[in-house]
Amino acid sequence: MSHHYIKFDNVHFSYSNGYEALKGISFLITHGEKVALLGLNGAGKSTVLLHTNGLLLPTSGEVNIGGIPVTKKTASAVRRAVGMLFQNPDDQLFMPTVEEDVAFGPLNMGLEKDEVRRRVAEAMERAGVAGLEKRAPFQLSGGQKKSVALATILSMEPDILVMDEPTSQLDLVARRRVVDVIASFSHTCLIATHDLDLARDLCPRSILIADGRVTADGPTSDIIPLFISQYS
Amino acid sequence: MGKTEKAITMLHDMECSASATTLHPVCLTLVTFIYLATMLSVPAESLSMLLWFAIYPILMAPATGLDFNRIFIKSLVAVPFALMIGVFNPVFQTEPVFSIGNLVVSRGWITFLSILVRCLLSVQALLILVGNGGFIGMCHSLSAIGLPDILITQLMMVYRYLTILLAESLDMSRARKARGYGRSHMDIRMWGDFCGQLFMRTVDRAQNIHRAMLARGFTGRMPRYDCRNRRWRLPDYLTLSVCVTAFIAMRIFNLSSIFTRIF
Repeated sequence: MSHHYIKFDNVHFSYSNGYEALKGISFLITHGEKVALLGLNGAGKSTVLLHTNGLLLPTSGEVNIGGIPVTKKTASAVRRAVGMLFQNPDDQLFMPTVEEDVAFGPLNMGLEKDEVRRRVAEAMERAGVAGLEKRAPFQLSGGQKKSVALATILSMEPDILVMDEPTSQLDLVARRRVVDVIASFSHTCLIATHDLDLARDLCPRSILIADGRVTADGPTSDIIPLFISQYS
Repeated sequence: MGKTEKAITMLHDMECSASATTLHPVCLTLVTFIYLATMLSVPAESLSMLLWFAIYPILMAPATGLDFNRIFIKSLVAVPFALMIGVFNPVFQTEPVFSIGNLVVSRGWITFLSILVRCLLSVQALLILVGNGGFIGMCHSLSAIGLPDILITQLMMVYRYLTILLAESLDMSRARKARGYGRSHMDIRMWGDFCGQLFMRTVDRAQNIHRAMLARGFTGRMPRYDCRNRRWRLPDYLTLSVCVTAFIAMRIFNLSSIFTRIF
């Protein structure tokens, strides 16, 4: 994957109950761009993110990640490149201990044990959860869970970072740390968020989604006032 | 602390105790399965032969840092199942085996007790195994022994589903209490709704977790991350050889009659 871009080309998606969540989404996020995905609850932001990882496949249209069209066959290759942070950290953490959870991704990538250990230690340090290695994820606070979930993604050293509400449930310190992590990430980054300050600080570009459609796409400084004026 | 919270804490404690174990998990798994194979193959009527196998949990529990009394009490949970299986044996197998004074003991009572003892000993052996390496540790040991990955993954998924079930039921129970204003009673219809909702929620959570696993490269096999890097040591070899020899001896020879002859 030479260029870490994300391309949605007229993507439609309907859930099994018939609800049409995406109604012709199209955008291109080029290599190294940091883009905020804005919209109200139920607008389709999380559904868009799930498409970047091949966890959902379009009913029609195409999703292309770094030159690879996302299909069932290419999903595993795409997932190596795209690290996804879920909205609810409880859904992301499933192993008995934090350490094993952070190691899950690198182990699935087939890395050597020493390399896995290095990545686990480094990711936990960066996410600010060093010292929680032996704790059970369900015993952590909401903020700690969110930080551990971030560590599980960082340990995979992804080319593209896709995050669903990365700063929800976080206190000031943890939020600052997440902001630093995103800021230091030099590759492509797509962030679905309600945290307008985060979007303003980190993302030069924003995409506004409403009712499964892109309603605005442009500089964050223009999109945020539009978003606020539309819904206030 | 409610029962659900206790169950969640117990599951967690069980996993954390993995670090306290002194034996190699694979060694303990092998010993346990050889124990089960030899103990369960004892003929149903040979109760005296079977009772010798009770030595294993009594000795192994303290040797691995567990409290036998707790193991024994926990194993009593399985008694109703054994009762259900064997309760009709005394009714159908009435041929007398021996008598104590005027009391005639039939074959049915012997086989019934045999089922009960087997059940208790099996559960105690498994509790010792899980208590030492945790459930996940046991799964990894089974994998190391050569059980198919698909089976191991299924076991781990079931275990994970159990924790989700507990966590969701705890959340729902707290939410109900918070708006129950002291009413603890739930009628049958509410129980039905509660169970249905619980099932739907756990399926939803399980689906989300599966997505998270796929997103991190899960291909159907749970990877193992054991930073402890344990190696087989002398106590492991000794435990395995001593236990296996003892189990085979207990299975082949009727130690009770040998001791009776000697003393």
